[in-house]
Amino acid sequence: MEEEKDLTSNEDPKEKNLHQETEGELRHARSALLNILDDTEAARKVAVEERNKTLAIIQNFSDAILVFNENNILELINPLAEEYLGEKKENLIGKKAEDLLASPKTKLFMEFLEVSKGSPIKQVFRKEFMARPDFYLEITSLMLIMDSKMKGTLLVLHDITREKNIEKMKTEFVSISAHQLRTPLSAIKWTLRMILDEDVGGITPEQREVLQKSYASNERMINLVNDLLNVTRIEEGRFLYKLEAAQLEDLAQTSIDNLQEEIKRKGASVVLVKENFPLPSVKIDKEKMKLVLDNLITNALKYNKNKSGKVEVFMEDNEGKEIRVQVKDNGLGIPQKQQSRIFTKFFRGENVVRLEVDGSGLGLYTTKNIIEAHGGKIWFESEEGKGTSFYFTVPIKKE
Amino acid sequence: MAKKILIIEDEEIMMNLLEKKLKGAGYDITTAKNGQEGLDILQTKIFDLILSDIIMPRMGGLELMEKISRDTRLKNIPIIVVSNSGQPVEIDQAKKFGAKDWLVKTEFDPQEVIFKVKRILGE
Repeated sequence: MEEEKDLTSNEDPKEKNLHQETEGELRHARSALLNILDDTEAARKVAVEERNKTLAIIQNFSDAILVFNENNILELINPLAEEYLGEKKENLIGKKAEDLLASPKTKLFMEFLEVSKGSPIKQVFRKEFMARPDFYLEITSLMLIMDSKMKGTLLVLHDITREKNIEKMKTEFVSISAHQLRTPLSAIKWTLRMILDEDVGGITPEQREVLQKSYASNERMINLVNDLLNVTRIEEGRFLYKLEAAQLEDLAQTSIDNLQEEIKRKGASVVLVKENFPLPSVKIDKEKMKLVLDNLITNALKYNKNKSGKVEVFMEDNEGKEIRVQVKDNGLGIPQKQQSRIFTKFFRGENVVRLEVDGSGLGLYTTKNIIEAHGGKIWFESEEGKGTSFYFTVPIKKE
Repeated sequence: MAKKILIIEDEEIMMNLLEKKLKGAGYDITTAKNGQEGLDILQTKIFDLILSDIIMPRMGGLELMEKISRDTRLKNIPIIVVSNSGQPVEIDQAKKFGAKDWLVKTEFDPQEVIFKVKRILGE
């Protein structure tokens, strides 16, 4: 101590100042470091709190959540997902998506995601499926992107059983109502027909005119009920398909032949344009496919105020893979802003409604369902005031 | 001699219209209000053709056709279904039981029924 004291006392004043400055800086640095540590600790606490909060949200979320990392390994699962999958978290965490696909318990949940070794999980949006009897789920998978890099996949399972039950009740109600409606409608049809055919005595020309109008109205009602029945059958999954080999051009020709009266009345022309060689036959439900052609050709003819209404039906073999059909008209066209809704139920174009043309708005919805049930595709091109082309494909399945 | 047709139909108005139309075409008509009544009549009288509805009280058309198909005395009588329903699965079942044709009431009118009857009876 003595020596130190002496040394200090003998210190050069310049050196003494430097020493004091260094000490001051060190104190300052220490205090700054302590502040940083305090801030870091506070930030860590906030981060832990935020993490816990996020985890609590995930754990208590009303949808089932599963998170896979970039290697498709399951990293996180909430209790509802455990319940839906019927498997404990301990047996799932760390498993690869393809292992979950191979397991009978979890297979059903993974089927939509098309998982395979090395490839990312497929993104799906609101795919519905029956997880077990009377229990329906909707599955959505989203890619987790951070700093432009794929960090994993978020899987959400949403319970839609209640919506499905309501939908089923509604469908059953419409189905029963439509069936009940058919009974009196057929009685009216037969009665009017027999009066018009004078099976129950003679009628005056004036009475005939009135009765013919009633008959036509009743026919429109029958068509509407039939459309409703078709829709309910699609929604109930009862729209049965009896597949048999048939020629699409024969069905189109029958549709055109059946419309001859209407074609003449409108002064329009409907032409079937075939290839030089006969098209290969396709396996289809003839009755339903006829409905498709009837709907498209009738629409092309009906929604056409052109004095020289022209409908052309083109059919071609697309490289032996599918038959491609185009129904082209020079009619009213579909307004651009409404084109995305064309295949939805009860949709009718505003330009069409303005002209008070009859229609249920169910034909194209039914048509799309029939084409897709056959494994085909349907789309259209349209310009308001110029016309529309509907296209659809039917796969050629080789035995 | 007029050909004998049995109409089995629970809707009175449809029954009356069919009966009138077929009588007008010269057929000998007997009517029944459901499948059971039809089956009872078939035990006592021979018919050339049966026109039957599907959805009926007591015994429906498909059950009736199944019973007819198992009866050697009755199974060769041609049957035409005239129904408000037209599900492919029902039509297939009816065909299996020997139905010759299936007419959906809203799609056909009485005159077309006469054409079908004449064709099946070879007239």
